[in-house]
Amino acid sequence: MTVPKDIHEYLAEFDDIPGTRVYTAKRARAGYHLNQFCMSLMKAENRERWKADERAYLDEWPLTDEQKEAVLARDYNRLLDLGGNIYFLAKIFSTDGLSFVQAVGTMTGMSAEDYQAMMVAGGRSPEGVRSIRANHAGADGGDRKESN
Amino acid sequence: MARITAGIAASHVPAIGAAIDLGRTGEDYWKPMFAGFDWTKRWIAEAKPDVVILVYNDHASAFDMRIIPTFAIGCAESFKPADEGWGPRPVPDVIGHPDLAWHLAQSLILDEFDMTMINEMDVDHGLTVPLSLMFGQPEAWPVKVVPLAVNVVTYPPPSGNRCWALGEAIARAVASYPEDLNVQVWGTGGMSHQLQGPRAGLINAEWDNRFLDGMIGDGDALRHIPHIEYLRETGSEGIELVMWLIMRGALGRRTRALHRHYHVPASNTAVGHLVLEPVS
Repeated sequence: MTVPKDIHEYLAEFDDIPGTRVYTAKRARAGYHLNQFCMSLMKAENRERWKADERAYLDEWPLTDEQKEAVLARDYNRLLDLGGNIYFLAKIFSTDGLSFVQAVGTMTGMSAEDYQAMMVAGGRSPEGVRSIRANHAGADGGDRKESN
Repeated sequence: MARITAGIAASHVPAIGAAIDLGRTGEDYWKPMFAGFDWTKRWIAEAKPDVVILVYNDHASAFDMRIIPTFAIGCAESFKPADEGWGPRPVPDVIGHPDLAWHLAQSLILDEFDMTMINEMDVDHGLTVPLSLMFGQPEAWPVKVVPLAVNVVTYPPPSGNRCWALGEAIARAVASYPEDLNVQVWGTGGMSHQLQGPRAGLINAEWDNRFLDGMIGDGDALRHIPHIEYLRETGSEGIELVMWLIMRGALGRRTRALHRHYHVPASNTAVGHLVLEPVS
């Protein structure tokens, strides 16, 4: 058997990954209504009402103003920070007619074409993006740029 | 008695389902990805499993944030393909095996795995894409399916070790089912991919291939990989690979690989695929 894990140590490590928001309880709680709003777009009739007037539809949900603005702006990195989870946020971009590869690319700062080309060429290398700490210590090789 | 005859691992990328549904599997982009499943399609037509215990994760389809079961077993007569925001996939309903599912649930709980039983749910691409990969586009799926949904979305997901141990318990439960059934266990999801944030698009072919190696033979090092390693090395959604370990655990001490395939990319994801056989 494995040794019981300390939840605080377990969670603290997640903050060390560059450019990544792990969907912890803290985020899940902050994003509860945001994610449930996203779920509502699974129903065709809700998608119609959403498309007809996004702001009015959003105002039916107890989201924070920040969350609402980020939804309207389709700022997915911001939405992750505000407790959104990608599988829930996918309901928004699917309703917009975007594929995963199109929507996910918007979070990287790359153009859709460049992102798609990177994927076809084998994806983003893990070199240099494993650990913020290691990057600071210069131990992970690759570039030292921190993208979180 | 029922017996586990084989295990299959396969990624379950939604774009793979879309490529099949839209008739695009012959395009240059997709050809090499699908080619790796040709062998398996032929093999499974001969192997003829009666039931597949299909380990997958729901992607905010049947389960939203209201209920987050760690391990949930589908006990219904049938399961409809979920509308994931662009209409349900045009695939047959998935026919369950409630007798085996309830037997598994009861046995696993007595074996100290506290399963959630689900009597009504739709199943999303996590479950239907692997069926399409193995069986193509039939009028009806040629197997019954016991869905086993694992939470790999909200942290913490179950540990790799717990998943492996659940697989071992599934093997014991199947062995005590009185009907003569040819059962396969499938582990789906993965391999390396990250769908979020500035680090999105991460792929780690070297790590993925070491993981594929580790599924074969009698080693059990994979069960001890901590979550943080999946996150750092395989991207935030690479954590789905813990589901493969349920299948691996169910195959017993030693496995033999009948088929292996690895391809980058399908959409944002590295596709991995194994057909394994238990070696007694």
